Parts: sequence; C-alpha cells; structure tokens
Amino acid sequence: MSKRKPSRVHDTLIIGAGFGGLGAAIRLQQSGHQDFIILERSDRVGGTWRDNQYPGAACDIPSNLYSFSFAPNPDWSRTYSGAGEIFGYIKGLVEQFKLGPALRYQQDVTGLRFVEEQGYWEATTAAGDCWRARAVVMAAGGLANPGWPNINGRESFAGKVMHSARWDHDYDFSGKKVAVIGTGASAIQIVPELVKQAGQVKVFQRTAPWVLPRMDYASPDWARKLFAKAPRSQQLVRDALFWTHESVALAVIWNSPLTRVTERVASAHLARQVKDGWLRRQLTPHYTIGCKRVLISNDYYPALQQPNCKLITWPIDCINERGIRTAEGIEHQFDCIVFATGFDVQKTGTPFPVQGLGGRELAEEWQGGAQAYKSVNVSGYPNLHIIFGPNSGPGHNSALVYMEAQIDYAVQGIEALLRGDHAYLDVIPAVQTQHNLELQKRLARTNWNSGCKSWYLTADGFNATMYPGFATQYAQQLARFELADYRAVDRAAPAARRAAG
Amino acid sequence: MASIDLEKMLVKIKESQWALADIDWDAPGAERITPEQWPKLKAFMADLMWIEHVGARGFAAMAKKAPDDTLREIYTYFHAEEQRHANAEMALMKRWGMLEDGEALPEPNINLRLVIEWLDRYADKMPLYVLGAVIPMLEIALDGALCKFLLDTVDDPVCHEAFEKINGDESRHLGVGFSVMEMTGYNKSFIKVMQMVLPLVDPRLLLGIAAYMPLLNKMRDNIVEMGLSEQKLYEVMNKFERIGGRTADGRRNPWFQIIKHHARLVVDRGNKIYHVPVDAAVKITGLIPARLLPAVPSWVHELTWKPTA
Repeated sequence: MSKRKPSRVHDTLIIGAGFGGLGAAIRLQQSGHQDFIILERSDRVGGTWRDNQYPGAACDIPSNLYSFSFAPNPDWSRTYSGAGEIFGYIKGLVEQFKLGPALRYQQDVTGLRFVEEQGYWEATTAAGDCWRARAVVMAAGGLANPGWPNINGRESFAGKVMHSARWDHDYDFSGKKVAVIGTGASAIQIVPELVKQAGQVKVFQRTAPWVLPRMDYASPDWARKLFAKAPRSQQLVRDALFWTHESVALAVIWNSPLTRVTERVASAHLARQVKDGWLRRQLTPHYTIGCKRVLISNDYYPALQQPNCKLITWPIDCINERGIRTAEGIEHQFDCIVFATGFDVQKTGTPFPVQGLGGRELAEEWQGGAQAYKSVNVSGYPNLHIIFGPNSGPGHNSALVYMEAQIDYAVQGIEALLRGDHAYLDVIPAVQTQHNLELQKRLARTNWNSGCKSWYLTADGFNATMYPGFATQYAQQLARFELADYRAVDRAAPAARRAAG
Repeated sequence: MASIDLEKMLVKIKESQWALADIDWDAPGAERITPEQWPKLKAFMADLMWIEHVGARGFAAMAKKAPDDTLREIYTYFHAEEQRHANAEMALMKRWGMLEDGEALPEPNINLRLVIEWLDRYADKMPLYVLGAVIPMLEIALDGALCKFLLDTVDDPVCHEAFEKINGDESRHLGVGFSVMEMTGYNKSFIKVMQMVLPLVDPRLLLGIAAYMPLLNKMRDNIVEMGLSEQKLYEVMNKFERIGGRTADGRRNPWFQIIKHHARLVVDRGNKIYHVPVDAAVKITGLIPARLLPAVPSWVHELTWKPTA
C-alpha cells in the first residue's frame, strides 16, 4: 500500500537508471518527449556497472562499440575499458543530457499494474510511493541481481562471503586464503587480481570455459584527439568493430567451419599459456564454442599457474563453517569465499509482480520460459516496453547495439501511443505466437541449444535469453514499429474497449 | 538400455559423499598391525592406492566421452571418489607409519606405473565402450578383491570404518559400470558390433593391453605373497562374467565378451600359452629402471593424506 499520494499520470515511467533506462530517457528527450520519470532502486545511477566493481572488472566488447552511438566518448583509455571508466561514462550521461530532474532515487519498484479503465500503469515502490504513467520502459536489467549457486550448507560458512556483483572494497585480502567459486566472465577477471593480493587462491571450476586472447591496448593520445575533433573518425572505428564482431556470429552462434577455426584459436591460446598437460586437460572445454559465453583474457591462465593459485575441478560436496568439501574427500579451508557465479537471470519470472489486462500476471505466464514480441512487448501488457526482454541477448556483438534498437523501438511505440492518443497498444497474440515459433525454430539450430547447460537456458532447456541471428537482423526487425501488429484501443471508448477485450 | 536410472543414481551419489575429516585417523587400533604384517602391508597399500588411481584416471577419460551431462557428472564424481579412496588409503598408511617422510607419495610398482603412463597418454582417446568394459573389470578384479582381502587380514577398526565407506562408493561404481556396459551393447547389429571391436587393431590400445595383462598377473603374485588365496581373486573375477552377462544387452557388448574371455584365461593357471609369456612380461617390465620412465603426470601431486587443505 502506498503511503503517499500517487503521482500525476506521466507520459512515461522508466524503471532502472542503468544503460537501458538512461538511454531510453535520452532518446525520448531527443524525440521531443520530456514528460518521463526514472525510478532507481539505489542512490546512484549505473546499474550493472555500478554494482559490478570487483577488481579487474572490465568490458568484453571494445569500449568504442560498448557505448551509445548517440553519446560517443572520445576519451576511452583502453580498447576494453574497466568497470570504473564505464561507470564514469554512465554518470556522465546524466550530466551531458541533464537527466537529473527526472531521476528518483531509492525507488525500488515492488509491483507494476495496468489500470485498464484509466489506461495507465501504476508502479508501487518499497519506499511507499506510487507512480503513474501511460507507458513504461522496464529497464530493470537482466544482470541486476546476484545469482547464488545451489550448494549444501552455503549459509553456514563462518568466514567472509562476497559476491562478484556486490564487492566489499574494504575487505583486505592480504595473506588470506580465498576460494573463488565459478569460472565465468567475472571469475576470470577477478582471479588474476586476487592472485596478486591474497595469500592463497583456489578456483573451483565446474565447466571449463572457452577463452580467447584479449587484444587490449591503451588508446594513443592522437586517437583521442582525432575522435574529439572529428567524431566521424570514431564512428568509422565503431563501424569496423561492429562488422568484425558481426562476423564472429558465424563462428559462435552456428556450428560452421569458422566454429572449428575459433576453437583452434582458443586451444592454441591455452596451449601457449599452459604447458602442464593435466592442467591443460582440465581447462579444455567439452562443448562447442559459443554454447556458453565465450570469454576473453590474457591473464587468467597465467594467474592459475601462480604458486599461490590452484584450480580445483572436483565436484563440490558442501560448504561448512570452515570451507568447502569436495568429492575427493578433502576439506579446503578458507578465510573468504568469493562467489563469481553470475546473475539471477529472469528466464521464467519477472523482477517484481507485473499485472496486465484483466489482472493477468506476467510471471505466471512466463513460468515455462519468458516470451515476448521482438523481445520488447508482451501481449496482454500494453504500453509496456522491456529493455533486454526475452530472446534479446547477443553472443557475439555489443549488448548496447541491441539495446539501442530496443530503445528506439520503445520510443516509436510510445510516440505512436501518444500521437494517436490511444488508451493502449497491445500486441496481437497471434503475431506474438508466430514470432516466437519462428524464433524457437531458429534457436534449435544454434550452438546455444546444442546440448550444454548454460544460463541462457531454463532447467528444461528452453532458450528464453538469446537472439538467434546477427545484430543487424535484430536491429532490422526493430527498425519500424508496425502499428498493424498491435491492437489499438481508443482512449475515448472504454465500453468499446471492454467489448474488444 | 541402462538397467538403472542414472538421474536417480546421480542424486544418490551426491547424497552419499563423505570426507576424510569424517574419520578419526588417530583413534586407537593402529597397534593391531603386527610387525610381520607391516612390510607386506606397506607394499600392498601402496599398490592399492595406485590401483584406485588407475580407476580414477579411467573415470576421468570416461567423463570426456560420456554421451550426456548426467553420465558425465557421474563419472566426474567417480573420478573424484577414486581419488578420495586413494587419499583415504594414504591416510591409513600415514596412520600405520608407512609414509617415508610424512609427505611423500608411496611408490607404485612398475606395472602400475606403465598402466598409469598409458592411461595418461591414451585413455582420453579410447572409445567409451572400451573403457566402459575394462574399468568394471579392474574394479572387480583388483579394487574389489584387494579391499576384501585387506579387511580379512587387518584388524584395525579405523581401516574397517574407511573401507565401509569406500565399498559403498565402489558398489555404485560397479552398478553404473555394468549398466553402461549394457547400454553400449543395447540392440547392436552385427555391423555395429564389428565397429566396436575395430579399436582392437589400434596400436594405442594394443599398448594398453600390453600394460594391462602383466598388471593382472603382477597383482595376483602380490596377493599370493601376502598369503592370500589366489582362488578368492578368481572368484571375484568371475563376478564380472556373472553380472555383466546377466542381460542380453550386456552379452551383446563385444567388449564384455573380450574382457570375459580374457578373465577366463587369467584364472586358468594351467593355460601355459597365456601365462608363460605374460609372467615373463612381468619379469621383464620389472627390470625397467625408473629413470627410463617419463615424469609422472601432475595429477599425481593432487593426492594427499591430509583431511584438510
């Protein structure tokens, strides 16, 4: 129940002040729409890049591509910038586009409900506020909440526990015995840094990742100056990076001769950096490259071979108050356990209850796996635009390219709603069903669905996360908001609306 | 088809985990090892812990070959469990004062060393059905038999406690082993059977056979030297034929047939054609100086008698 008076009905409510939410605000603003509010659960903007500030945190896509095309930054310090710099860029967007007045901090949304009679969405927050708007951009973030592994006794450990997505910068690792659970994207960035600080590091691996070399270089001064003076030159670099990454789709999304070539490159990288046969064997993946997220690192393998580091591949039996017991019968004791176990990615639910037309619950409908239309809209939940909704994940290109396409599509949808003065625009169910049938048919032929277990899939193997194609194709399908795909209900005719519903 | 539900088996395996720390290695009873037993037992235990590791390395290779995630995870556990057995056996050796300087690994005999070398080089390249038949045989013939003999001779309650746990694990290993043997023999046509036999002409496998045969005879000699009945070893080996051949699918597996016939040769001491050359091979391999063998693989250094790390 809200404690305070509900807000007036805004045009748009944006949930989340990370890349997605701020990007949507900027594009709305640039389209001439100023009446929006951004709700942020924390006291700062930044989303994933505010929360993921662990040592070594950096982007896996070159910064010139991992930034908005409508907000270029000529000053990236490296090819792959660190989390701090990316966080700085996001904070800079607020100043550059004067978004401050629209931001409402410490507004953790607890529920979202479509009030059909009045044709607006109502968001309640943990702070007791109630916000209303005709359209909603839900940019709550796919990687917003830490994911914890299901290990017996996880809560019983008496030492320090840390999650990569909620790093405790005050904890002193010097001389400490540290466990790192997980060998995904976060872990391979954390381990090289921890090995420099801690007394002993043991890395618990369940599945070996494919690791490619990282072409990371400091940006030369002349390039920064050139980009500042001639933004077109930076755009050219961005285009080149985009098409290079696009070509990678042929290797990682589908099983092709290029897949073998990429596997060879990764194997050669492993062979060059790891001489010991057994360690190399332990670090050799057993699945097709691309099935799980492909990682890039030059310092992960060397870090594992430092005298104070050890890779443990025995299955974990349980965690107790002293450490981790593994199936080879040994209790590995630690001062600190770092969970680099990724995020609780919403594949079958929603971050908070979302109630659509006729009181339908989105989480209930997504129980078997999330589905949407073009990953942005969901039938029965009108005027709701999801950033990084179902099947919008890239495996080979910048997430921000996908995000920009989603944002622009959402802005077009909001414009169509406001321009037509409709009560709502709701995806026609048959259109959504057909879209998903085709999507799943295409997904069945991808490496993601080739048999390995990954965070892309539900427990039943349903892929609700990835888009089975090129970024170009993805952006293409979102380029035009086709009104014909939606049921438009007039604001002036509630009775007719009910009859139509 | 598999005669056991592998999903349920994986759950059972996860629920049956134990650790070295669950056993009080300093509890009374170590003094029950007699001075006469001590030297022979020391050699016996060293071989036993290395045999566990032959199984461990085999399971590691099978995990790579497993046709699905469930079986892969089961074999990953089995690999770790065999290592746990080796660790526990080292902890017993430590308890009985059999480790030279408290840290060192016991030395494996030369035939074991050759098998370990072969496994490390070639096991990952062998098809699942070959390993899937050889490993249950080794588990029955060596691991199973040796454990049984040990419990018949050693009176230390801590040893019995440890082996109660070890044998619990081994029974699951054998259950899965025979089930997979049936699975790989399921509904095979003549052509498929012939394809499965084809690796017999693979020189890498021939090398493996050349290491495997003397190992069995060497272990037989060791057991006899310990004063144990050779007949008991053969009875246990016959179990392979009895259990593996209980279903038509199991019998249709050509590798079951090959291993079974080989086991018959091993237990038939009157068969000079087999035993004279193999016994000679035991003698000849015994002459190979340790320095001629390549360095031990780094997984060897994972072994530890310490319950915590």
